[in-house]
Amino acid sequence: MASALARHWGALLIFGAAALIPVLVRDAYFLDSLVLILLWGALSAAWNVAGGYAGQVSIGHAAFFGIGAYSAALLGARFQQSPWLGMLIGVALSLVAGAAIGYLSNRLKGPYFALSTIAFSQVLLIVASRWRGFTSGSEGIPVPFRPGFATLGLGHVAWVYLALAVAVLYWAIQLWLEHSRFGYRLAGVREDEDAAQALGIPARRLKVIAVTASAALTSVCGTLWAQYVGFVDPFYVFSVDLSVRFALNAIIGGMGTALGPFLGSILITSLETYLRASLSGVKSGFTGIYLIVYGVVLILVVRFVPEGLAGLASRLRARWVRANA
Amino acid sequence: MDSARRLGRAQIDVFAQLGVSTILLGGIYALIAVGLTLIFGIMRVVNFAHGEFLMLGMYLAFWAYTLLSLDPYFVLFVSIPLFYGIGLVTYVLVMRGVIHASHNVQIFTTVGLSTALQNLALVLWSGDFHTVRPWHALTPIRVAGTAFNLSQVVAFVIAITLTVLLFAFMRWTHTGRVMRATAQDRDAAILMGIDTDRVYRITFALGIAAVGAAGVLVSPLYAVYPTAGLQFVLLSYVVVVLGGLGDMVGALIGSLIVAAVEVAGSYWFGTAWKEIFYFVLFIGVLIFRPAGLFGQRGAENLGV
Amino acid sequence: MSAPAPGPALLTLEHVTKRFGGLTAVRGVSLEVRTGDLVGIIGPNGAGKTTLFNVIAGYYRPDEGRVTFDGRDVTALPAHAISRLGLTRTFQLVKPFGNLSVRDNVMIGALTRRASVREARADAERVIEICGLGPHAGARARALPLALRKRLEVARALATRPRLLLLDEVMAGLTPTELAAMIDLVRRLHAEGLTLIVIEHIMAAIMRLSQRVVMLHHGEKIAEGTPREIASDRRVIDAYLGEEFVLAEA
Repeated sequence: MASALARHWGALLIFGAAALIPVLVRDAYFLDSLVLILLWGALSAAWNVAGGYAGQVSIGHAAFFGIGAYSAALLGARFQQSPWLGMLIGVALSLVAGAAIGYLSNRLKGPYFALSTIAFSQVLLIVASRWRGFTSGSEGIPVPFRPGFATLGLGHVAWVYLALAVAVLYWAIQLWLEHSRFGYRLAGVREDEDAAQALGIPARRLKVIAVTASAALTSVCGTLWAQYVGFVDPFYVFSVDLSVRFALNAIIGGMGTALGPFLGSILITSLETYLRASLSGVKSGFTGIYLIVYGVVLILVVRFVPEGLAGLASRLRARWVRANA
Repeated sequence: MDSARRLGRAQIDVFAQLGVSTILLGGIYALIAVGLTLIFGIMRVVNFAHGEFLMLGMYLAFWAYTLLSLDPYFVLFVSIPLFYGIGLVTYVLVMRGVIHASHNVQIFTTVGLSTALQNLALVLWSGDFHTVRPWHALTPIRVAGTAFNLSQVVAFVIAITLTVLLFAFMRWTHTGRVMRATAQDRDAAILMGIDTDRVYRITFALGIAAVGAAGVLVSPLYAVYPTAGLQFVLLSYVVVVLGGLGDMVGALIGSLIVAAVEVAGSYWFGTAWKEIFYFVLFIGVLIFRPAGLFGQRGAENLGV
Repeated sequence: MSAPAPGPALLTLEHVTKRFGGLTAVRGVSLEVRTGDLVGIIGPNGAGKTTLFNVIAGYYRPDEGRVTFDGRDVTALPAHAISRLGLTRTFQLVKPFGNLSVRDNVMIGALTRRASVREARADAERVIEICGLGPHAGARARALPLALRKRLEVARALATRPRLLLLDEVMAGLTPTELAAMIDLVRRLHAEGLTLIVIEHIMAAIMRLSQRVVMLHHGEKIAEGTPREIASDRRVIDAYLGEEFVLAEA
């Protein structure tokens, strides 16, 4: 048990700190950043299941995020139902959509699969932004706030712990992928699909399962985010920029590692918070500038540090171990 | 683009109108796609940022028109060498390092480029929608029961001209032949002493020049805003896949088909559902006919 | 060389034909492999040997004919299902899981039969020892030289505990020392009861190892017999005219 804790010292540090902060800090703005770091980290972890562990790179995960967000918002605003029900419905819808996208992943190679995921998220964007009767079209939907856990109307501290619970769960799911039979076989599929098939692995099925699971996990966080932020705007929740962001965190932190998405999220979300603070005077400039930075960072990381921060840390640690052996 | 509706009660032969609209639109799509099929056919890189260069071309025309009162067709002559240069710079700074990298690296590199360019436009020029309305965009032409405006015709003519020039270049010049050889077999090309880096440089620059020029050409026809390129990206890929990777004639034919689908679809369902047509067509082609209409090479790249 | 006597038919091919557009890669090939056999398949490049493997292992569906494995008609089964039944193949151009360690590579093979990762790991360790990969167990597969990659390919396939193992040119590109070690490995595996079909170009190896040799040419089986019979078969010699052809005394 002790050795297991030691092995996961990074996760212990990050999640432990997140658990302690609300006890020590009461600043709402700070807690808000913490919630966002955890949520974005979880979203990237969800993406990572398909992108990092199954090797199916999607630039359209905002589709599932949006489904989750809209499910909660619509159920809450139109039908006065609990957002938990909305979450369930969002998950159900995302399972179907995810399976469809998973089917596509078996027909299309890398870049073309990525293209099709973009296309899918854009179709949803159009539908959501034009269906005035149901989704209020381009105006978006304000999510009603009703205090209480059943309606996910929580204070900042409660949100931190809820987000933390989800983050730890998603981290654990990824960890399971690294040590389970399913996960190992998935790794084989990722590395070489033909060779995996020769070893009795039903590659196509595993890919669909991974993408479907990834979709459902993303949808859950979409629901939580909608409840937290309180407003669902179709042009945001289905945007390509958002999809890129899910991938970005994972890539920077380390695709295919359990902690990577959270490391990436800490870096990127902090950067965004900093930029937001220092550029608060600029009109539309802020929205654009940090996205320009994301774009450039993505290009640089993918070229020069492809294994991400987590991979870099392992490499450095291995070198340190060898030097001191 | 809805010239038919603008003319109201005048007698319009629907099918002739749709046919003409298709051809005019197809010509423009051809110019966009031709650059893409070159890049994808020769470099085997899916350029997610292709639409952004189109957008930059549109902005170039807009600012030239707004600040200097220059007609877009005048700007066109400047834009071709300008975008050729932009293509060169982009290749050296961004693309060269990832030509031999894995698919994922290429995807994220061009996606990052796309994000950066879109938001550069947003920061510099704000997200407002702009239009370029030179005199020829408002000049209707009526021929044999069909209607369109002068901008469409000129855009079509110039697009076809440029496409033909590009085609001639690829077919009859030494450099063009070298580029085609590299497309067929990269390793053999290297063994034959071909400087593949130079080939890629020229390919990418030409592709960007084509799409930048296309941007200038379409500026009177579409609204100009930072994410204007997005709508063209998907259809460009549909065209390229339909026509076969690297096949310029195929790109022309594919353009006509896509234009036909869009024109017919818009007429019956309205223009709002354009993206959905593209998506359906895109998925359909990739699933049923990934090797293109003519069974071209490149099928293996698409996951057949 | 004491190999167990061949038992009942394990794999049967009946008039298998595979076409690609206008090209017939495999034409009416019939073959029977019994438990405990070691069958060698030879033939010039393009004879259809690897295509035959692809058909047997389920990567291609034949246009005509039938494949029966262990009493079951597996003609229409996908590759992974056939592997689950106990028929595993290796690839001519080796396909290691590059970013994973040798140990993990072999373990993924073992997971075909094992539900628990721990048991699979134990299986993998054993197979790694058998194949002489012990010193490299922790190395990344992509860092291995070719000879070890070929060994890894065999080890990984072995870990699936196959009834029948298809080896596709595992000896190509090896130095004489590496070759001798690989021949020895295949021989040991056969002696312990594994049924094998081996595609090879290296005549010395095939003639030494095989109990029976099948020759393919232009997709057709043109000869079948013991190594000695094949070596003196007129048709075999004709097919190889123009190519270097080294005969080894069995």
